[in-house]
Amino acid sequence: MKSISLYVERDSFIHEVDPITKMIYILFALLIPIILPSFTISFLCLGISLLLLVMAKVIRKTVPVFSFVFLVLITVVIIQGLFKPENETVLFQMGPLAMYKEGLLYALTITLRVMNIVSSFMILVLTTKPSDLVEALVRKGMSPRIGYVIVSVFQIIPEMMSSMGTITDAQRARGMETEGNVIVRIKAFVPLLGPVILGSLINTKERAMALEVRGFNSRAPKTYLYEEKTYTHGRLVQSVMLLLVVGAIVWRIFA
Amino acid sequence: MKNQSMWSLRLSTAALVLIPVAVGVNYIGKLIAAFLKLPLWLDSIGTVLAAMLGGPIVGALAGAINNIIYGFTDPISFVYAITSVAIGLAVGILFYKGYISSWGKAIVAGLIIGLVATVVSTPLNIGFWGGQTGNVWGDALFAFILANTDSTWLASLLDELVVDVPDKLLVVLISFGIFKGLPRNVVQLYNNNEKIETLD
Repeated sequence: MKSISLYVERDSFIHEVDPITKMIYILFALLIPIILPSFTISFLCLGISLLLLVMAKVIRKTVPVFSFVFLVLITVVIIQGLFKPENETVLFQMGPLAMYKEGLLYALTITLRVMNIVSSFMILVLTTKPSDLVEALVRKGMSPRIGYVIVSVFQIIPEMMSSMGTITDAQRARGMETEGNVIVRIKAFVPLLGPVILGSLINTKERAMALEVRGFNSRAPKTYLYEEKTYTHGRLVQSVMLLLVVGAIVWRIFA
Repeated sequence: MKNQSMWSLRLSTAALVLIPVAVGVNYIGKLIAAFLKLPLWLDSIGTVLAAMLGGPIVGALAGAINNIIYGFTDPISFVYAITSVAIGLAVGILFYKGYISSWGKAIVAGLIIGLVATVVSTPLNIGFWGGQTGNVWGDALFAFILANTDSTWLASLLDELVVDVPDKLLVVLISFGIFKGLPRNVVQLYNNNEKIETLD
């Protein structure tokens, strides 16, 4: 059963870091460029994130995500470069179309921001098992029921996908067309989606009963199956990041 | 016992279990739309269904968790959690008040939800993408409008409108159709009405 999580099993320093620290890092990587909006800072943050990805030996797995984002970013660059309202200085001409400097700079800001978000998220996603992340959050005080909801999504989706595969085959064997013009394809949508949804919803009844029987709703304090993993330097790194954010705010106010 | 208000935060187990299924349905909707190469997203069927079955809070939670989990595979979806929450809330409120009780009313509701989604998504689009949506037709329109007027907000609004309203209309109609086809004992699971009836 294919899992939808992007987690990659590797033996690196980043994998051993507390998931909470990684989440705080995402906030940090997002806040600093907002507090100090300069290209150097953004490039720096991006560089640090990419460096961490290389250290975690997962940089190759980021390529599919980055390429998808790049496709949209290219259209952003082109459209902003050509059409941004306050465009004045022309950088170069291509026949009737002119690329303007303001548009390209704005597109650069957007690109850096998007890449910052993507890379810092990738650090969390590629190096943390979803169950570890949820367990860390639940230990910090998140309701275990919400924790269950998040973990179960990772299990339910592959299940639903395989059942959809079965249903698609069954419908095609009974003569449903899935290729052809738009009308044909639209007509195929409901016979595909309907049984999957109905089946899953009816399943929820059994799922709910199974959970209740196992004490899901009980207010008694829960115990954990795994021993609590102690993460080295967790507190230290978090304090450093907090100090840097405060420092950035101070710099912004006074300089 | 009286009918629980639609804003009750007490979620039954059935409602909690509905949320992952809603996320799964969203995902499948997106997959099928991609597989059939339809020019729409169709990725909120689960959220709308969850809102119809369990009310606005469940719908909003389903929407939020949906985008948070998508954020794991596609970080940009993460910020659009706000839009999903808005959709869940809007559908839940409309449905609970009885405004989605027939096909005609469902069409109106679909249009309203499309507008809600557009209004919430446009500021997000402008903040993160400079106004674009990533959808080919919408962005083409965006470029066209931007070239002919000076307003980024207008271009972005129309870009999102042209993609979101048909998409949400279709989503609400499909969800309504599915809701009507559900067996009563499934719908009853999520009914918050705690009336106890005795047989003697």
